[in-house]
Amino acid sequence: MEAAAQGSAMDRVSALARVLENDPVRAWKEAGGAVVGYACVATPPEIMAAAGVLPYRLRALGNSQTQIADAHLSRFNCSFCRSCLQLGLDGSYSFLDGLVESNGCDHLRGMFENWQYSAPVPFFHYVKVPHETGDDALDYYTGELELFRDALRERFGSVISDEDILAAMDSQEAVREALRGIDMMRARSRPAFTGLEALELYLVSSAVPAADFLELAGRAAKERQNHGVNGYRARLMLCGAATDELELVAGIEDVGGLVVADAFCFGARAFSVPLRRDIEPVRALAEASLGGMLCPRMYADFSRRRDFVLQRIEMARVDGVVAMHNKFCDIHGVDNVQLRLDLEKRGVPVLQLEKEYGSGADIGRVRTRVQAFLERIGGHE
Amino acid sequence: MNPVLKGAVDERRLQHGGAGLFDRVSQLFQVLERLPDRMSDEEVEGLLFVLPPDARASLGAMFLPRVREGSLAFVRMLCAWLREAAAGAQAGVSAILIPFCFPPELVHAFDRSFPITSEVLSTLGAVALEGQGERYYDMALGIGLPDHICSANAIEVGSMLGSDDFRPGAIISAAAGSCDINAKTHEILSLYHGIPQFILEKPVDNTERGQEQYLKNFNRLAARLEEFLGEELTEEKLRRTCVMVNRANELLAELWDLHKGRPDPVPNLFSLYTYGTRFAMWGTREAVDCMQVLVDVSRRRLKSGEYPAPKEVARCLLTYTSYYFDLANFFNWMEQQGYSYLGDGLGLLFPSFIDTTSRETMMAGLARNARDMPMTRQVGGPHMGLCWADDAVYAARDLGATCAIYSGHHSCKQTWSAVSILRQEMMDRAGIPLLVLQGDSWMRRTTPMSVIQHQVEEFIRNVVVRQAPGRRKVRRRVRGEGG
Repeated sequence: MEAAAQGSAMDRVSALARVLENDPVRAWKEAGGAVVGYACVATPPEIMAAAGVLPYRLRALGNSQTQIADAHLSRFNCSFCRSCLQLGLDGSYSFLDGLVESNGCDHLRGMFENWQYSAPVPFFHYVKVPHETGDDALDYYTGELELFRDALRERFGSVISDEDILAAMDSQEAVREALRGIDMMRARSRPAFTGLEALELYLVSSAVPAADFLELAGRAAKERQNHGVNGYRARLMLCGAATDELELVAGIEDVGGLVVADAFCFGARAFSVPLRRDIEPVRALAEASLGGMLCPRMYADFSRRRDFVLQRIEMARVDGVVAMHNKFCDIHGVDNVQLRLDLEKRGVPVLQLEKEYGSGADIGRVRTRVQAFLERIGGHE
Repeated sequence: MNPVLKGAVDERRLQHGGAGLFDRVSQLFQVLERLPDRMSDEEVEGLLFVLPPDARASLGAMFLPRVREGSLAFVRMLCAWLREAAAGAQAGVSAILIPFCFPPELVHAFDRSFPITSEVLSTLGAVALEGQGERYYDMALGIGLPDHICSANAIEVGSMLGSDDFRPGAIISAAAGSCDINAKTHEILSLYHGIPQFILEKPVDNTERGQEQYLKNFNRLAARLEEFLGEELTEEKLRRTCVMVNRANELLAELWDLHKGRPDPVPNLFSLYTYGTRFAMWGTREAVDCMQVLVDVSRRRLKSGEYPAPKEVARCLLTYTSYYFDLANFFNWMEQQGYSYLGDGLGLLFPSFIDTTSRETMMAGLARNARDMPMTRQVGGPHMGLCWADDAVYAARDLGATCAIYSGHHSCKQTWSAVSILRQEMMDRAGIPLLVLQGDSWMRRTTPMSVIQHQVEEFIRNVVVRQAPGRRKVRRRVRGEGG
């Protein structure tokens, strides 16, 4: 595959995507700003941004060392959450001024609880997210977001008016729009970005101020306008558990599977649903976050998740789907079975892949499985 | 064959490999239902002789003289449960599959529905069937489900996915937010066979707001069931059920108090019987009858000071599940070593009295008790670790536990997420040590019972017994956002 030219916007993106405390975060802190970590797309960053706080989506960037975390979580917990906890407890996340818990899954809850129990951060708030999307659930969740607004107000002393939230919605929506544009550019017949680059862009989008990202994304899109990735064997779509593992995507693309689409929460699931502007802003955020979550933690909602995957398969002319989950991830581990059954019925080849997060030892096995999958599905030359 | 069951349990299916868990368990219990009220040792020996080895081991444990009366009461309750489910299927009554954390009394309150509790059936598979439940667990893995799913659900659900087992008319899922794997396993069963599923979510929120939301969810579920079954849940039906619930809850509370005796007069196995009854038949006369026998036997033992070991060595609180694949070598073995089993996490129910004045008061009471079902109440709370610890610390203090044991079940990711917090809180607030075990509660293939026994023994001998009473300093800790 073709490498990006030196000194390009993507070089900068690539560098920023590989560190936790990146330059823009450092600059933000030096200017007296606060940074608050959150882990799940059910937590709307707009409310934090409206409070004048930099929202930072927690990640582990493939960290495989979990010795401190393993004293708190167990070997039966997913290695992504253990990795995040490790970074929380070993000081790598010392730049955070607060944490926002959400009940994404059993492992994530354990990660937050153990972090706060062992090394409390100055600001900690729990956004309780329903598992259904009905009106009652939406009302309840709207109330949760109002409580979140109150907690931020109290801690950071900002007003957080509806106008502040609307302004933050504008700016976050611009970020999402930029990501949607990049997503379209990588889905085209001659993709402008590899899957690795798309993931880098997404990771940066949720770890720097919106203005910084928009500037970078704009430059990257311009640079890649006429670019076309070639030299791959098949066009793949990745879906499944939270995946910020750049090495994993690189490993899959190294063996010839170009990732032209995804249904990750570190990816398309986070930016696909536009915000409504015709209703109260907090309600609009609740609707987009809850109704647009497309996560298997939600119940009575499988067909919408499946249809989202099908729509992306069609849009990006996908040859095969790799449905991944980290060992012990129940929500994706089980959901991927039904997804595979449904996609295969429609003639879409699926590789269901269980893996360890961040494990260098696992990448060889993953590559072998993907190679075998590529053999099975044939594809482009 | 019992004429009622004939037809409902398909003999043809039983004769080939496609027999499902429900059919096989039902057939075994048809035999057990015919047992006389009083059995001599010789009669028990004769019964065990004709059983295959796995069933023989379990029933041998249950029919030891000191637990025989309680076991027979429990078996009779289960026979009624299985019989009514099978008969109901013939009579057009809808069997509704529920998880253990959902109160079966709501389903019992209807005339046209009957609850089948997933984990109770899985446990019966592990306890009573030859080969235990492993064949069905493997069926679940056979369609691609990962090997970290929970055997408590996967045995029963695997049977429904991979064999000719009976199919429920609907599924109630009540574990969203308190156990991912429980909720997901029931969801895939629903999707795979196109079975309607009703969700009851408990917000992870113990504030007034969270409680109101739960009551709304509970009432909505009841309305959906009414619509699905085409039956109104009248005040009269609710009262009939709630009266039975209240009586069973009184007996449950009495059994709790009996555990405070030293030595503990309640046989270890009665914990399993108590919540087996709670999860399957609460709200019925059969549950009350079974609980009454468990209480009566324990009262008599308290009076006579009967205890199977020379002295009570340790008073153990099991903080979550237990191990069910070898009753003789876990429950009874502990008792014979003088290790009393004060109860476990599945018994941390704390039900309230239901006011039967009106439909509203009864629905509110049922909902309150549903919120307090095990797992829902603890790890479904706003803080898994601290809510769980609150209940475990309370139980440890109230029952005079000298140690705690976490029977780690490999699939309980939520409790594995919080057990380090629990351990610290038990030390700080109850002053007792916690042993963390690893295994599979429903399958012997993960950790053999001999290993579990060895770990329990080492812990009690080296940590619990050596610690003089009151030596460990209890540090009061300011609790976070618990219950």
